[in-house]
Amino acid sequence: LRREGRIVAEPHAPERVAAGARSAEAALAWFGDMVANCHEFATSAKERGRPIVGIMCEYTPREIIMAAGAIPVCLCGGSAATISAAERDLPANLCPLIKSTYGYHALQSNPFLEMADLIIAETTCDGKKKMFELMAQTRPTYQLELPQKPDDPDARAHWLRELKKLRTVLCGRFGTRITSERLRRAIRDMNRERRLRRELAALMKSDSPPLTGRELLTLRSSISCVPADLTQYQAALESLPMRERTDLSGRVRVLLTGVPTVYGAERVADIIEDRGGLIVCQENCTGLKPILDDVDEAVSDPMTAIADKYFALHCSVMTKNNRRIDALRRLAAEYRPECVIELIWQACLTYDVESYFVRRLVEDELGIPYLRIETDYSPSDSERIAVRVEAVYETVRAGGAG
Amino acid sequence: VIVAGVDAGARAIKVVLLDADSRGIVASGVTDQGVDPGRRAAELLGCVRSDQGLTREHIGGTVATGYARNAIEGIDTTITEITCHARGVSHLLPGTRTVIEIGGQDSKVLHLDGRGVVRDFAMNDRCAAGSGRFLEVLASRLGLGIQALGEMTAQSRQPAPINSTCVVFAETEITGLLATGAAPADIAAGVLMSIASRVATLVGSKVVTPVVLTGGVALIPGMASALQQSLGQPVSVAPDPQFTGALGAALLAAERVA
Repeated sequence: LRREGRIVAEPHAPERVAAGARSAEAALAWFGDMVANCHEFATSAKERGRPIVGIMCEYTPREIIMAAGAIPVCLCGGSAATISAAERDLPANLCPLIKSTYGYHALQSNPFLEMADLIIAETTCDGKKKMFELMAQTRPTYQLELPQKPDDPDARAHWLRELKKLRTVLCGRFGTRITSERLRRAIRDMNRERRLRRELAALMKSDSPPLTGRELLTLRSSISCVPADLTQYQAALESLPMRERTDLSGRVRVLLTGVPTVYGAERVADIIEDRGGLIVCQENCTGLKPILDDVDEAVSDPMTAIADKYFALHCSVMTKNNRRIDALRRLAAEYRPECVIELIWQACLTYDVESYFVRRLVEDELGIPYLRIETDYSPSDSERIAVRVEAVYETVRAGGAG
Repeated sequence: VIVAGVDAGARAIKVVLLDADSRGIVASGVTDQGVDPGRRAAELLGCVRSDQGLTREHIGGTVATGYARNAIEGIDTTITEITCHARGVSHLLPGTRTVIEIGGQDSKVLHLDGRGVVRDFAMNDRCAAGSGRFLEVLASRLGLGIQALGEMTAQSRQPAPINSTCVVFAETEITGLLATGAAPADIAAGVLMSIASRVATLVGSKVVTPVVLTGGVALIPGMASALQQSLGQPVSVAPDPQFTGALGAALLAAERVA
């Protein structure tokens, strides 16, 4: 294993350490109330006449929505409780994230979805694409078409045209103008949030990280660029390095990849850390993937800059998706995991098939153990997942790499 | 020093007492799982120990494995059945590269490196197909115990195809086969082939020999030969296959006291 370049926190004065620890706990507690905070923010924004726009994919550029004066809110469902309601209309053998989201729609029980003036749908997965058709019967939706050949110049041009159409639709629907100046302001805000979250994630590079991967996973929000959130990200970033978590030493360093662990669906992340692991890197849509790159503020046309940033996301829907393998290789070098765990939601075909290449990278090139977990939101297989996770840790400790 | 390994599996609980110095088995015992596996396991350990005239103080260390490993009192460490079976089989048959363990509620394939360390593993743990329980349910549909089902396969001339991986639908399939007059021996052979082909899928495309079959289901006559046929490679059966998990746990306990 690569162990050179150790990153160890500098010693701090005791009083600063104590103040820092308090501030870190306060920031973590703030994001512990994330849903309530977002609800308050969205309700008050809506009362002041700002439209709410539901999104369900990291390819959807929040900047364009924000530049229209609207509030983008993530609608991805993480609850097992709404799935049976979804299965009245949707097949049982479908991704739980899609079913959960649709279940909230059917039960009208997601306040953000109920508040939404528009839902941006996209073609990033066939399951979602068709689910949106059902949802569109009773809710205003607009479909973004994402081309899927990442290195094809025509695909990039098509994506830019799609985003320009979205801009036109938002302007028409909300009776506003999306100027370059408004776009640039949104880009600056989003870049700032991405940078703060990226630097928080980078704390896990340390040999003795000051937080768990599960805690890092809570440091995010369904609504981007809420001013209070940005303040708390900044506070967490300043205070966490002074927090001591000696209890985290000796844990097996895990890189988690695959599908997103959306709010409420953190069961596998919990198992990974409860059984002796530490998730040092989350290469997925709820982790680093969407915040690795910023929108280039130097590019003269902001729409082009936005299109380029988002089109470079390495979702498994892309073919060929070499960028994901490159990103994993780079992240493994930076975060030094001792094993890679890939999470796949049931019936997520693109991640499922692509796991072949991830396994090959991890075992043959990185030379560390790889574990693929396919599951849904039901806790019925938690104990069996735990056995497999523990067995991987035992293999790591026995030095039985790839 | 005497050490103990406890394997509290899904269908049966196994205990092995081991001499930590010679690595020789001192005693072993097995019992059904019951409704309170933690207590049953502790009781079995107590029985096996007192049969040898040993008290709790004589036991230098205890490692538990198996599905109920965390529910047992008086255990020093728990280790997964994956590591324990690998350790047990490697001890009995050094140089083993692939271990197939078919237990009561799941089946696993362990790929070992030259030193016997688990390099990779695969588990069939989302449904009962390819498990001892699958075998029990289908044997009872034929009015047989699992041992008798295994013995009957020797008389089969043409195994009946059983394609359902769901145990309930496989039962329905057997009902249909019986209705069309298929011989029970052919159905029995079909049941073993169905498990073998499930497990062969789990092994993957590259089978590294030697391959060893272990776990309670390895005791069924005809199981190893059905697997051999599916894999196209020789498959040997571990000695006392039901105990390799408990033996591995005891060996790991011995390493801890050394």
